[in-house]
Amino acid sequence: MTTPLTVREPVPGRVILSSCLGDISQDKGSELFLPAGLPGFETEHVLLPVEIPARRPLVFLQSVRSPDVCFVCLPVSCIVDAPLADISEDDRAGLDLDPGRNLVMGEDHLCLALLLPCGDTVRTNLDAPIVINLRNYRCAQILLEPRHGSRRLTVDGTWEPVC
Amino acid sequence: MLVLRRRAGEAILLGPDIEIEVVEISKSRVKLGVRAPRTISVTRRETSAIAAENKQAPALAVAGSGLENIVRLLRNTPSLL
Repeated sequence: MTTPLTVREPVPGRVILSSCLGDISQDKGSELFLPAGLPGFETEHVLLPVEIPARRPLVFLQSVRSPDVCFVCLPVSCIVDAPLADISEDDRAGLDLDPGRNLVMGEDHLCLALLLPCGDTVRTNLDAPIVINLRNYRCAQILLEPRHGSRRLTVDGTWEPVC
Repeated sequence: MLVLRRRAGEAILLGPDIEIEVVEISKSRVKLGVRAPRTISVTRRETSAIAAENKQAPALAVAGSGLENIVRLLRNTPSLL
C-alpha cells in the first residue's frame, strides 16, 4: 500500500483503488478538490495526491472515483527556476486565493506541471500548470499569460523547449 | 457569425436557459458572467487544446518501468530547488 502525500493532519479513511499505484489508504483531509475537474476530465472533482519515496520528485494525483485515472506531476520548480506568470484575478477567485496578496509558493499555493508521455521520455505544458491552494486544497488547471511553452525532458536530464 | 453589440449589464440568451451577461468592460478585456445549467460545460476556448493533451496524461502512470527511467533522468537534473 502506498502512502498519500501528507497535506493535513491524517485521519484514517478509506482505501482507494488505483490501477497504477495499487491500493491507497486515503486519509480524510488529504484530498484535493477540483470544482471544475481538469480539462478533458471534467467529472473528476476529487484527486488524492500521492508521493512515493522511490519515485520522488514525482507526485501522483489519483482520482478517487476512477481507478484508471492517475496523473503524474512534478513541482514546476523542478523544471524552471523562475516563477511562472502571476495567476489571473479570475483564477485566484476560482481557487479562493487572496486577490490582493503576493502569493508565496509553498505557503499559499503549489504549482504542479502535468507530465505527458513523449516517446521514451516526458513533456509538460508550462502554460497550463495545476495550482493548489494550500489553505483550502482547492485545485485547478489554469492557463497562464504570458506563455511559457512546453518543455521536454532530455536523456541528459535537462528540460528543452518544445516547438 | 452573429455579432451583437452589448453594454455592461446587458446580456444575451442562448436557448431558454443559458444567459451570458457583460459584467464589466475595461480597456482591453470584457468580463462575462454565464448562467447555465450545471450539465453545461463552460470553458475558455483555449482549454480545448489542454483537454486533448490531458487525455494522454493517464497513460504515463501505467508506463511502469518507463516511469523508473523518468525518475532516473530527473535525479540527474541539476537541482533548481
